Amino acid sequence: MFEKILVANRGEIAVRIIRACKELNIRTVAIYSEADANSMHVQLADEAICIGTAPAGDSYLRIDRVVSAAEITDVDAIHPGYGFLAENAHFADVCESCNIRFIGPNSRAMSALEDKAVSRALAKRADVPTPPGSDGVVESEQEALQVAKRIGYPVMIKAIAGGGGRGMRAAHNDISLVKGYHTARGEAEKAFGNSGVYVEKFIENPHHVEFQILGDNRGHIIHLGERDCSIQRRNQKVLEECPSPLLDNPKFRKLREKMGKAAIKIAEAANYTNAGTVEFIVDTQGRYYFLEVNKRIQVEHPITEEVTGIDLVRYQIMLAMGEPLRHSQSDIQLKGHAIECRINAEDPFDDFRPSPGRIEMYYQPGGRGVRVDTHAYAGYTIPSAYDSMIGKLITYGRDRREAMDKMNRALGEYMITGVKTTISFQQAILQDPNFRRGVYSTAFIEQLLGGARRELMEEKA
Amino acid sequence: MDLKDIKAIIDLMKKNSVTEFELEKQDFKIRLKRGTNGGGAAASYDDAPAVTAAQPPSAIPAAVAAPQAPVVPVSNELEIKSPMIGTFYRAPSPEAAAYVEVGVEVNPETVVCIIEAMKVMNEIKAEAKGVITQIMVENAKPVEFGQPLFKVRPS
Repeated sequence: MFEKILVANRGEIAVRIIRACKELNIRTVAIYSEADANSMHVQLADEAICIGTAPAGDSYLRIDRVVSAAEITDVDAIHPGYGFLAENAHFADVCESCNIRFIGPNSRAMSALEDKAVSRALAKRADVPTPPGSDGVVESEQEALQVAKRIGYPVMIKAIAGGGGRGMRAAHNDISLVKGYHTARGEAEKAFGNSGVYVEKFIENPHHVEFQILGDNRGHIIHLGERDCSIQRRNQKVLEECPSPLLDNPKFRKLREKMGKAAIKIAEAANYTNAGTVEFIVDTQGRYYFLEVNKRIQVEHPITEEVTGIDLVRYQIMLAMGEPLRHSQSDIQLKGHAIECRINAEDPFDDFRPSPGRIEMYYQPGGRGVRVDTHAYAGYTIPSAYDSMIGKLITYGRDRREAMDKMNRALGEYMITGVKTTISFQQAILQDPNFRRGVYSTAFIEQLLGGARRELMEEKA
Repeated sequence: MDLKDIKAIIDLMKKNSVTEFELEKQDFKIRLKRGTNGGGAAASYDDAPAVTAAQPPSAIPAAVAAPQAPVVPVSNELEIKSPMIGTFYRAPSPEAAAYVEVGVEVNPETVVCIIEAMKVMNEIKAEAKGVITQIMVENAKPVEFGQPLFKVRPS
């Protein structure tokens, strides 16, 4: 049994992890940068260690400092959360060599899925469909052009070390391909320290459907159903729901089973352990393609928790302690419907410009079927050094209709003043007729914003 | 007499280092006392509403109120802060003498302590020129980033 865990993260996910630890009677250590001295996760933890100045590169990403903090507080394990060092194989190795358990996949799985190109190859070997594309990293613009010629435009140039929707460029012809190839490489080098890119067929207007998986150290792997994350703005997820309305379409009934099996096949091929997510895209004909595996707990994990009744972060801790899976695949039931709206400190009326600053008034919604995962509070100053997400609003209902009604109600109750938030933007999504029908793709937000822009222009005219 | 007048009297008292003031009139009486060192000649006033100028400070030795706050530390003292997370050691080894003590002069290159992190002993330099006035962490205690380790009076 772990006695003490260090949470190597910040914000809402650090609060989430601390809660799971407290419920298991495990003591917690928070790490924080100088900008996060008043953050909620620091206040909730049993101990807190300052590890540097505001920039993530001087604090949360400093492996030496994180591990030093773990050593002086004598923890048994580190939970990396998402982002930061969560999928950093070197960090996981350093933890293990310092006798600190890393709460995440083992190093074998990390290297089997070390980047997107390698994962693509693994999926192909496991007979799981992948979008047509290059066999691994594309080394030159000539090669990129050849691949594009073979698979046909439009294509996507993607960073192999990319994540969170970053490091991607679409190309519709040779000229934009060459331009995009070089830009993507430059961006990738700067953002991820790895300029490797690969080329994939761009499947237009797909649904983004991902499967939650859990694996123990005895080789048992189960999936906990899917999440539809198609509602994205510039490749950043905005709203997620479980189950996917697409897979509930009678035309695609068999897809859930087929994709679930494919997710498990990939996880098994990688000898995956702990929590992870297998991402797919599904086109309008119901053809699905493997994209990548996210080797961490994800932002949108709460909707799976609500629909399956299973605490995923707690499961991560138990699995890391060496416990076997307590559920077989047949034990997993998806009951009801859950929706999550990400609440960002951004101004939706000013191109989503980030809006850091002091929260003056804060009232979060409540009531039956409403869950808020956040680190925000009245008087909290949102630092400008990190991402703009300040919380997640999750609603759960008997069915999609009830989950949507609750979300409408809850968004209307949510009061945050002092900073701009995307609450009104989420309200617009919930009220959109196509969203309500469950008919949407990754092009949804662009279409919604396009319409809104037109309205704004007409108003101004 | 209203609040404005009382404020004016208090200001005058401060300005002239008067600690006690008492005024009694037909319908009211007021007594103002500044600080705890109240003893000594309080200026005495008659019924004249105008407040006469108080005696110069030198004539009322005990009445001058000494500053009440404890001695404020000299604000130009520097702090040597920890640049890393680890365990703080005052000496290179348990048997050796400490790198510095209070009163020792340091220059930027002087090693003042060791911070041990992940089994590596890191020598921490003063990066300041002056005299150590305080050692703020006990030997073998853990320190975090930015934690003050020593106080230095710059020379």
